[in-house]
Amino acid sequence: MNVRPTLLVLGLAAFAGGVAALFGVLEIALSQSIAVIVGLLAVVIGIRSLLNRGDANRTPTPDPERRTAVPVPGETLAEAIGAFRTAKTSYTPTSRRTTDGLRAAAIAALTRFDGRTEDEAAQQLEDGTWTDDPVAAAFLSTSLDPPSRSVRDRLAAITGRKSRFYTQVRHAVAAIAVIGYESGDAAARSLPRYDRTDDERADTDRAARTTTKAVDGISRTRERSTDYWYGIGVVALFAVGIGVVSESPAVVLAGVVGVGYAAFARALEPPELELSVDRQLSDAEPVPGDDIDVTVTITNERDAFVPDLRFVDGVPSGLAVTDGSSRLGTALRPGESVTLEYTAAVRRGSHEFDPALAVVRDLSRSTEREYLVGSETTVVCEPELRPVAAPVPLRATAASFSGRLETAEGGAGTTFHSVREYRKSDPLSRVDWNRHAKTGDLATLEFHEERAARVVVLVDARKAAHLAPEPDATNAVDRSVTAAGRIAASLLAEGDTVGLAGLGPVDRDGGTEAGRESCWLAPASGRHHEVQFAELLATHPQFSAVPPADEGRWLWQLRTIRRRLSAETQIVFLTPLCDYVSADVARRLDAHGHPVTVVSPDPTADETVGERLARVARRVRRFDLQRAGIPVVDWPADESIDEVFARHSAGGRR
Amino acid sequence: MTEITRRPTARSSVVAAGAALVAVFAAGTGGTSALAFAAFGLVVFAVGLGIGHGRAVDAGALVLFFGVVVGGLETTTVEPTVVGTIATVVAWDVAHGAIDLGDQLGREAETGRLEAVQVVSSLLVGLLSGTAGYAVYVVGGEGQPIGAVVLLVVAAVLIVVGFGSRNAGKSARRRRNRTRSP
Repeated sequence: MNVRPTLLVLGLAAFAGGVAALFGVLEIALSQSIAVIVGLLAVVIGIRSLLNRGDANRTPTPDPERRTAVPVPGETLAEAIGAFRTAKTSYTPTSRRTTDGLRAAAIAALTRFDGRTEDEAAQQLEDGTWTDDPVAAAFLSTSLDPPSRSVRDRLAAITGRKSRFYTQVRHAVAAIAVIGYESGDAAARSLPRYDRTDDERADTDRAARTTTKAVDGISRTRERSTDYWYGIGVVALFAVGIGVVSESPAVVLAGVVGVGYAAFARALEPPELELSVDRQLSDAEPVPGDDIDVTVTITNERDAFVPDLRFVDGVPSGLAVTDGSSRLGTALRPGESVTLEYTAAVRRGSHEFDPALAVVRDLSRSTEREYLVGSETTVVCEPELRPVAAPVPLRATAASFSGRLETAEGGAGTTFHSVREYRKSDPLSRVDWNRHAKTGDLATLEFHEERAARVVVLVDARKAAHLAPEPDATNAVDRSVTAAGRIAASLLAEGDTVGLAGLGPVDRDGGTEAGRESCWLAPASGRHHEVQFAELLATHPQFSAVPPADEGRWLWQLRTIRRRLSAETQIVFLTPLCDYVSADVARRLDAHGHPVTVVSPDPTADETVGERLARVARRVRRFDLQRAGIPVVDWPADESIDEVFARHSAGGRR
Repeated sequence: MTEITRRPTARSSVVAAGAALVAVFAAGTGGTSALAFAAFGLVVFAVGLGIGHGRAVDAGALVLFFGVVVGGLETTTVEPTVVGTIATVVAWDVAHGAIDLGDQLGREAETGRLEAVQVVSSLLVGLLSGTAGYAVYVVGGEGQPIGAVVLLVVAAVLIVVGFGSRNAGKSARRRRNRTRSP
């Protein structure tokens, strides 16, 4: 800008003139009124500039202490309704789309859980006989009139048309969710909320990672002016102006103080940072759920005072800080170091610390520089391979090796199967001697033959499977991976052979998937295999604790897995069943002759209409799979896998 | 898991409130209207600081400063006004520091040293410029020609406006400019 130098030169000239006049070298005849005008001018300029003061300008810091939040199934109503959409539904405006979608959901639920045909269900919807909630009945029917509303509802309706629509949607969803339950308890019958409040979602605004880039050493990412002192010079001028106008030396001196601060704000530059960060862990290989102590030593390697350092450690997303703080604000003399200590809870997986964020300001805080300080530290947390207390629900298909899986065929074994006529070469031990003693006939006892199963545990780690009932709760993939380890441990202990496969994006940083294999471990047994299994579960990038950014090519991966599976291999598929793909994968594998058992960690919640509808959709999917002959073991969020398997085996099937 | 409390840090907030209180007392020596202005400013300032609202802190500090100026207009002694101004600016500065720290690091983080450096540096700058101005006032005394005063004010306006950008090294001269103006 060319105005500035001019103004400066003029200002310096005026200064020189003023000094000259002070010492009597220059005689200037000015009246008091001119002094007043000049003073007023200073005040006006001051006020004008002050109005331009913007909002605080500072580097926002991310929240690496937190775990990466994953969505709750059915975050929005539109998404939940989309699960029920059939090819028939064409484009319609939003409100119609909601009604149509809810109608489709009601029909889906009625046909599955109430034993209606599609036409009957449609008829019931029209009559409103499907529910005893008059509001819901009227909302999904074209012919029924809504019930007369109470005064309170009328008042609410005046405040906005939307609120009435919301109430109707809430009633309809609550009614759909209880279809199939004889008498739902009070909680199931209560109305869901329409949406979560902003408070509950605001947390996710801040990034959970300091950066996704790898940083070696220290690198400056940004420099900005904080506008911290903006306005101080102007206020000072204002005071000087008033002081001159009113001939008050005290006020002029007040202005002088302000100008001193204005000068301070502009005089300094933040130091160039040379930090070294050293991270020590109390335990580099903890088990999931353990707390580890992290000690970070930060050293100022440069020969200059760092007056203002704000440090945020790059805690990986699989770690959550439970005690202490991973942030520090300090000043550092040359060569000085400070330590930062905190405790973090570790989840399973391989966690690499992100570069730490260091924000430096100069002494006057008016300029801010942002640095990323890299320091490689990795925590590997292998899941425990502890056998499940109850037998793993497997399908009765087996390999030809002897083992402990009961098959449907008769032969040698321990559980009674049938009695048949004696044939030559039947072993004497299996002849039914009691019958021979009574009748003189020879008969042979048959037992359920026990063979070894060949199982591949397939973990659904697609983006759509990273779901949790609460943003911070253990997500479905984590539960699946933990369960995979435990299932493998119990099967291996029983003498079965177990393999591992994964479905989902391999690369977390949005890069190409070329050159990186999705997880595959062929079924085998033995101690070495078990160790390999645990290692893969902990470190394979497909099961990383960081939720993937985009959906991988699951179809392509599924084909590869299918090609690798040998005959007689059965599959335990761990998936939350929250989108059509998961059910589709199970069906495809089953259709190719690999008996599939679905173990499904339940990530659904029922707070809002979308969440409750997503839960219905999952129930429908589960029902459809079971109808297709694929057993589904539902695993609620508040139960352990042992309880679930125990209940399932008590249900009478293995 | 610990939640981050993104509120102004406690220590700095206390220091800022204390400084603002000092400013109110300094303004109070100038009369009741000055005291009223300053007290109102203090309330707005404290509320802004409590909820971490930067604009409210700005407004409160401005009203507080206005109170100090009104007090200065009504008295003949300059000392309370100078002290009040320094206290106001320190309060404002430390309050903004507390809000920034609260937002960037949260209340749980250890920030004591940073805050100490901040308070001391802020106070030191105020004392230095205040002492310099006061010294010139005392040595120079009364009776400068009005033309010199006006020229110096014009110089101040032009230079402050001209200094749009940060320019190390020239600040000393600007400070000298102002110290002569009374």
